[in-house]
Amino acid sequence: MAEHPSIVFAGTTDGSSVLDIGEYEKAGGFTALRKARALSPDEVIAELDASGLRGRGGAFFPTGRKWSFVPKPDQLPKPHYLVVNADESEPGTFKDREIMLRVPFRFLEGCLIAAHGIESQHVFIYIRGEYEREFEVLRDSLEAMQKADLLGGVTVVLHRGAGAYICGEETALLESLEGKRGQPRTKPPFPAIAGLYAAPTAVNNVESITTVTPVLEMGGAEYAKLGVENSSGTRVFSLSGDVVSPGNYELPHGISMRELIYDIGGGVPNGRELKAVIPGGSSTSVLTDADIDTKMDFTSLVEAGSSIGSAGVIVIDDRCCMVQLGIRVSQFYEHESCGKCTPCRVGTRWVTQILQKIEDGRAAQADLDLLLSVCDRIMGKCLCPLGDSDAIAVLSYVDKFRDEYQAHIDLGRCPFDGESSLDGILAPSDMHAHHGHETAHV
Amino acid sequence: MSELVHVTVDDREVEVPKGTGLVEAAQTAGIEIPVFCYEPRLGPPVGACRMCLVEIEGIPKLQAACTLTVAPDMVIKTSATSAKAAEGQEATLEFILVNHPLDCPVCDKGGECPLQDLTFRHGPGNTRMTFQKHTVDKPIPVSPLIALDRERCILCYRCTRFSEDVAEDGQLIARNRGAHTEIATFEDEPYRSPFSGNVVELCPVGALTSTLYRFDARPWDIQNVPTVCTGCAVGCNTSATIREDKVKRILSRNHPEVDQGWLCDKGRYSYPHLRAEDRITTPLRRGRKGLTEISWDDALDEAESMLREAGSSIVTAFSGSETTEVAYALGRLLRTGLGAHSAVLPEATSDALEAFRLPLSGIAKAELVVVIGDDPVVERAPIVDLWIKEARRHGAEVVVCSPTGTEKTAPGAGAELCRELAAGRSALAKKLRASERAVLVWSGPGGGGGARLAELAHELGFAEKPGCGAFHLPSASNPRGVALGWAVAADADETNPEPIELLFVSGDDAASNADVRALAERANRVVVLTMFHELAGGWADLILPSTAALERDGTSMNLEGRVQRIRRAVLPPCPDELAWISKLAARFGVGVAPHAAGVFSEVAAELYRDLTLDDLGGHAPLPARHAYVAPAEATTLDPAESPSGGLKLQRYTALFSGPAVERVPELGFQRPDRDVEIAAGDAASRGIANGDSVLVRSNGTSVELRARVNRKLLEGVVRVAEEHAGDLHPEVEVTKA
Repeated sequence: MAEHPSIVFAGTTDGSSVLDIGEYEKAGGFTALRKARALSPDEVIAELDASGLRGRGGAFFPTGRKWSFVPKPDQLPKPHYLVVNADESEPGTFKDREIMLRVPFRFLEGCLIAAHGIESQHVFIYIRGEYEREFEVLRDSLEAMQKADLLGGVTVVLHRGAGAYICGEETALLESLEGKRGQPRTKPPFPAIAGLYAAPTAVNNVESITTVTPVLEMGGAEYAKLGVENSSGTRVFSLSGDVVSPGNYELPHGISMRELIYDIGGGVPNGRELKAVIPGGSSTSVLTDADIDTKMDFTSLVEAGSSIGSAGVIVIDDRCCMVQLGIRVSQFYEHESCGKCTPCRVGTRWVTQILQKIEDGRAAQADLDLLLSVCDRIMGKCLCPLGDSDAIAVLSYVDKFRDEYQAHIDLGRCPFDGESSLDGILAPSDMHAHHGHETAHV
Repeated sequence: MSELVHVTVDDREVEVPKGTGLVEAAQTAGIEIPVFCYEPRLGPPVGACRMCLVEIEGIPKLQAACTLTVAPDMVIKTSATSAKAAEGQEATLEFILVNHPLDCPVCDKGGECPLQDLTFRHGPGNTRMTFQKHTVDKPIPVSPLIALDRERCILCYRCTRFSEDVAEDGQLIARNRGAHTEIATFEDEPYRSPFSGNVVELCPVGALTSTLYRFDARPWDIQNVPTVCTGCAVGCNTSATIREDKVKRILSRNHPEVDQGWLCDKGRYSYPHLRAEDRITTPLRRGRKGLTEISWDDALDEAESMLREAGSSIVTAFSGSETTEVAYALGRLLRTGLGAHSAVLPEATSDALEAFRLPLSGIAKAELVVVIGDDPVVERAPIVDLWIKEARRHGAEVVVCSPTGTEKTAPGAGAELCRELAAGRSALAKKLRASERAVLVWSGPGGGGGARLAELAHELGFAEKPGCGAFHLPSASNPRGVALGWAVAADADETNPEPIELLFVSGDDAASNADVRALAERANRVVVLTMFHELAGGWADLILPSTAALERDGTSMNLEGRVQRIRRAVLPPCPDELAWISKLAARFGVGVAPHAAGVFSEVAAELYRDLTLDDLGGHAPLPARHAYVAPAEATTLDPAESPSGGLKLQRYTALFSGPAVERVPELGFQRPDRDVEIAAGDAASRGIANGDSVLVRSNGTSVELRARVNRKLLEGVVRVAEEHAGDLHPEVEVTKA
């Protein structure tokens, strides 16, 4: 197995962490911050542009360009905000938590560099509510940095979410941070112009921000040499599912799926056949064993008909019923739909119901057509990408495994006959039961 | 003129001002982009319902038109020319209808329902949904006035946005998430806001319905009569829905300068008082056996003889809510016919503010709003409160100088404050003088009916600043119109007859006014014109049944000085005032037209020559500013705070009070609680906690009330609603019961 550079997790080995500020500094920590503070904000952004770093949250938007959209303080004399999206909740994605647990100073150093880049004095880290330990590590690390007088006048606020996937959507996150109901805003205006408290705001993912530190350490041009064209640098892949060694692996973009799953992940356990791979978190289109030599970078995955998304790679072996997978994924989006826009609120529920009918063997041919039509009617019509995510995923399952869906209809039952690997781990049907509220008594 | 942008909507090219929304741009081109959640009056668009999806050339995905503004040479394709947009709109409707019950035949909204209309135009012909629809308990009483059907709700969030962003009461909320999202009130408390009824009108489906209108009419068997609300001096434009000669509901009728289409619950829900049980329709005369019903012929004979006996020794007590025409006609009868020139109104009036006239919508554009006076704006002129809130949302500074305001001032200190601000030494005075967009509001008794405020505005140079204005919020709906109508009816100075041979009490508000009752004690005989037996039964010698505003024709002058037309929505159960005043006047040799149109032309000839009744029927215009005429100087000072040790009792007239409100049981929950508001310090020093039972005492009389600790209230002052204040004197003491 070839050695791969450790960029995000630099300074750690075999899952170790650097939680002591002295140790971090001794190993060269905060040099990037000092270097950045010696540069003008524009020069910092220029380094980011040169690095080719693109957003690791899933949208892959160039980080430097995002920052350049934030007006200069003299152009828009309002407070400027950096908001870090640490509300990691995409099924199959668990990289940010490991970054925050193992290299918290590298992450926080990146926050301060980014704040300098957009000339912000206020950093908000919106951390997923369930991330208890991660929150404590960040809190302790921040305290240590404050004692070491490293914050440079910047206020860093750790804000804990309350368990809503939608708050990972940047505008819903901003609403939630402002104390409102976590629902996406319409764009425009974009957060760069009117974000948190209607002021200029950059919203970045934890891994993106952590990568800012090595970009400054190495220099943008040097960083850009890693990875492949359009997808520079390394990526923390979250490998999960039917694989021998699941976990987070930092690898250069462009590594093949085969290398990732077989060489690094140890392949499919118990000699089973690889059936499908979800390459970038549950919202990306499924690929099959035929796609196993696809390179794990932005362009290659788009060409393969999917997306790198959040680089959460879910390996699926031949025991899995793809209708059940559809139900599981659709239930998730139905449950997490914020309820603001119609197609998502109604459509995700309807999709789950049709899938359940197919799985139960009650469906007719027309139901399969209806499923595709409903997905189609969700696609591209919602306020934010949540509804689309459900439709994209389910459409891809039907597209790639049409025969299996057809078999459910033809046989009038699930062909796996109770033997699917997802049997029994589907969310219980009453998970979504309405917890009745007292009604108004007047 | 702002920059114009050229856009194409379907096959039509239009030029619209930069910043125009796509829905409005399409409208300019004569093309409708259908919407549910979009409502510009509620603030920025939310893009929730997805009904307005359109195709925009160069953008692959369909776009929500309501969230976008025009860009140069934008090409917008609606469902008329884009199959993709048509499919998108059909998809939205299909999703909306998935859980919407098809109970249109029993739904109040059926026949005037945007969802019905848009489904016919853009929706699918049948349903592909075969699963059980989402069902919940219904209807839920959001309040005694509003029922919520959560199955019909399409979650457009109009109601919650109104509550949060317009009324700013924050009571209506969405709770839960996704498919389980539902509209509710916070903690399931009743939605108690002066503006709650607006959400019924905003609802684009039958999810929020009025309990007073539920199952009462269908849109095809009603008529809507355009009229004007007389609940307060704002004069909100309304439509009265009529079915079988009965008023079934009141709707707003958007006058963009006056009300913006909002209406308070008093204006919206008071109409059932027309059918109150104690309404009188036959005249009553006091005899040896008490009050007995008499015929109208007898009543007119009786009135004639009473008037003849009294001669000029008559005092007329107006409510201030009469039409200008009725005031004029009474003036012709009593002044011209009998030489009885003495009349009283509940509050002073002044014409001096005409020099600083501004449409109410001008408040929203202000950068500085200064409210002076003892009463909260919402209690006197609720819609003005919404205009001020809008100004504040736009960034205006709002300074309220009152016992409960941002600047604590003692009761009755408003006139003195005006003089101080005119002298210009304080920071606020300097800001007022420097501003090009400042608005002054007098909200409370005293102040010479706006005269003191006019002196201040004059001193500040407001007459030369078109963005600045000053408003007086009177307690009645048409005091200026009544005063003017009375004044032009004859040319003679007021006399103060002593003794008062006859007191003529005009209307319910006058009949329930304590000062008028006191005057009646001094009068030998009393004639009361009223709708309700209870208001006059004990003290009138002759009771003449009166009509309600919804049963009258005429005009009313609102607090801007705008003359608006009131239309008769239903026939009154008794003769119209003008009809019998005309008959009675004829017996004294005075000619008065027996109908509003005729009287109006007489009044208009004197007062507003350039106006015709037709001008006032739709959206009445605001007359131009007049030159400033200095008002008479204050003859008496407003009662200032007395220095002695007790607490100063401030009696206030709550918005939800008065003879009409009291006769609508559904409005009961809106009426003031039996509370005494007390400042935090005063409560603490007396060992009183919020919610405690307390005795409010003065000079041997006492009332038991519940203490409400008001942290905004000036120390030394307690507030009690008029209807709960009993016989308390201005100085009180409060102790734990």
